[in-house]
Amino acid sequence: MDRLTGIWNWLSRRAENLLALLLFTMFVAFLLQIVFRYFLNLPVGWTVEWVAIAWLWGILFGYGFVVRETDVIHLDVLYAAMPRAIRRAFDVIAGGFVAVVFAWTLPVTFEYVDFMQIERTAYVRWPFNVVFFIYIPFALAVIVRALMTAWAGLTGSGPRFDTQASAGSHDYD
Amino acid sequence: MIEYFAAHAIGTAIGVIVALSLMGYSVGISMIVGSLIYLLAKGFDPSLAAETLLQGLFTSYTLLAIPLFILAADIMNIGSLADRLLRFSQALVGRFRGGLGHVNVVSSVIFSGMSGSAVADAVGMGKIIINMMTRDGKYSPAYAAAITAATATVGPIIPPSIPMVLYAIVSDQSVGFLFAAGLLPGLLMAVVMALMNYLIARRRGFPTDEAVPMRALPGITLRATPALMLPVILLGGIYGGVVTPTEAAAVAAFYALFISVTFYRSVNLRQFYTALLGSARSTAAVGVLVAGAVTFNYVIAREGVPHAIADWLGQYEFSRTGFLITINLLILALGMVLEGGAILLIIIPILIPSVQAMGIDLVHFGVIAVVNAMVGLVTPPYGLLLFIVSSITKEPVGRIIREVWPFILALLVALGIITFVPDFVLWLPRLLGYQG
Repeated sequence: MDRLTGIWNWLSRRAENLLALLLFTMFVAFLLQIVFRYFLNLPVGWTVEWVAIAWLWGILFGYGFVVRETDVIHLDVLYAAMPRAIRRAFDVIAGGFVAVVFAWTLPVTFEYVDFMQIERTAYVRWPFNVVFFIYIPFALAVIVRALMTAWAGLTGSGPRFDTQASAGSHDYD
Repeated sequence: MIEYFAAHAIGTAIGVIVALSLMGYSVGISMIVGSLIYLLAKGFDPSLAAETLLQGLFTSYTLLAIPLFILAADIMNIGSLADRLLRFSQALVGRFRGGLGHVNVVSSVIFSGMSGSAVADAVGMGKIIINMMTRDGKYSPAYAAAITAATATVGPIIPPSIPMVLYAIVSDQSVGFLFAAGLLPGLLMAVVMALMNYLIARRRGFPTDEAVPMRALPGITLRATPALMLPVILLGGIYGGVVTPTEAAAVAAFYALFISVTFYRSVNLRQFYTALLGSARSTAAVGVLVAGAVTFNYVIAREGVPHAIADWLGQYEFSRTGFLITINLLILALGMVLEGGAILLIIIPILIPSVQAMGIDLVHFGVIAVVNAMVGLVTPPYGLLLFIVSSITKEPVGRIIREVWPFILALLVALGIITFVPDFVLWLPRLLGYQG
């Protein structure tokens, strides 16, 4: 069990490294874009494309594998006001429903992503099935997380989130 | 049963989204699930949801300003930049009655010229100023917390601004003009809050701060100058046509990093990594909300919901004033339970055709919407800024709420002026070439 936890923690750290790296490359690409266009008078296209890819992957990969429940944007007015038993029921119903809907639609979604290999991005000429592939692990992660929520509701293991302590991570507002 | 859901697909989808959100599930994911339910009920290919989401995110270039503005603010918060700015504000206005309250207002204004987020303002600047105010028992922690939360709302009104970028996306307006439109309203909000602080300070006999001697002023100003230059560089870059607002965000992050490392020598590699990871995490959290909104807005538009609402409102011959008051009350009420980003991405797109039908300028409306959303961050029961200052001071939210009411009142006065004097809001954008 300890070994499993160790592997799990190691994987989490690497996912975090990857996410931070994505943002870093986005940052650098933007700076290069400005330098190339404004100082060297050589507009480049690949940077625009890379930042868009990094943004898309950053969101879907980040949400799937790095974001904690406390970071997620919830509407917890009703949830927080409910007694524990009802909150557990909410977790089971919502988690179960989300998992079923995502799982049900996953096969056709995969077909769409696969189908997109017929198109390529404008500059780097990457096939779109590669660019869009991140949606599949994202969807799988959503299913797993939803099932974990439902499971936490069934077994009654602790509150899922606590807005008060985590409000600082919502620094886009 | 199946026929029923097919006929009421949009209603079913909205019902699913509301139910999942109320049950505390991620609002972004709830919206994706709602969209999937709509497509399934209509008998359409459910992969349309993924297609809309992926294409929408991939082509929303303007939104890329968000991660970089978050990163810029995070870098400023780890460096000693905030500290320098506070010392500068203190030298400037500390000598007046209720001194540190004014320092709080002024430093929020300066910080908001560099960051686009109210939450980042409260987290960074807030921690330091609350310490300054409560040290020696000069101000009660609840008052210090309340004024810090209230003044942080100025952050996204004075450019740059993440919420304005969100609004620009859903309303198809220029980020540059929206930023310009926010400047005067932001300063107005600061003025009314300073007035409120002055009134409260007089009534309760708050102390003035020890006046910083005049001869120390040049030195303090000099040390703050690199930080004070950031708003100038940002706005100059955008309006001088050197960079797009999106690129300006990268410049802000770079500049913050640059001065923190060279002038203030206060950021190391580990801290930079922490800032990167924190920003990326916030981006992913708000990004999923954007993704859900993009997907569900497709459904909403396909069903013609916004226009149906506009037509329905059209029957009632609302006066413009009546309409604006109703909209303000609606957004304020929603702000009590929703985050700013959620309001701008979910509610505003539905209202925009009605706003247009009433002949209201969309840049003006953008400022109204964002100010409303920011006031929502300090109104109970769900006010992110209240939670943040509460966790800094360890004061219960309830006690802070009692102190924050006068400031909410002041903000509402400012909101009234912003709403009913469009020329005040649009003066600067027009000066910069806005035709509206």
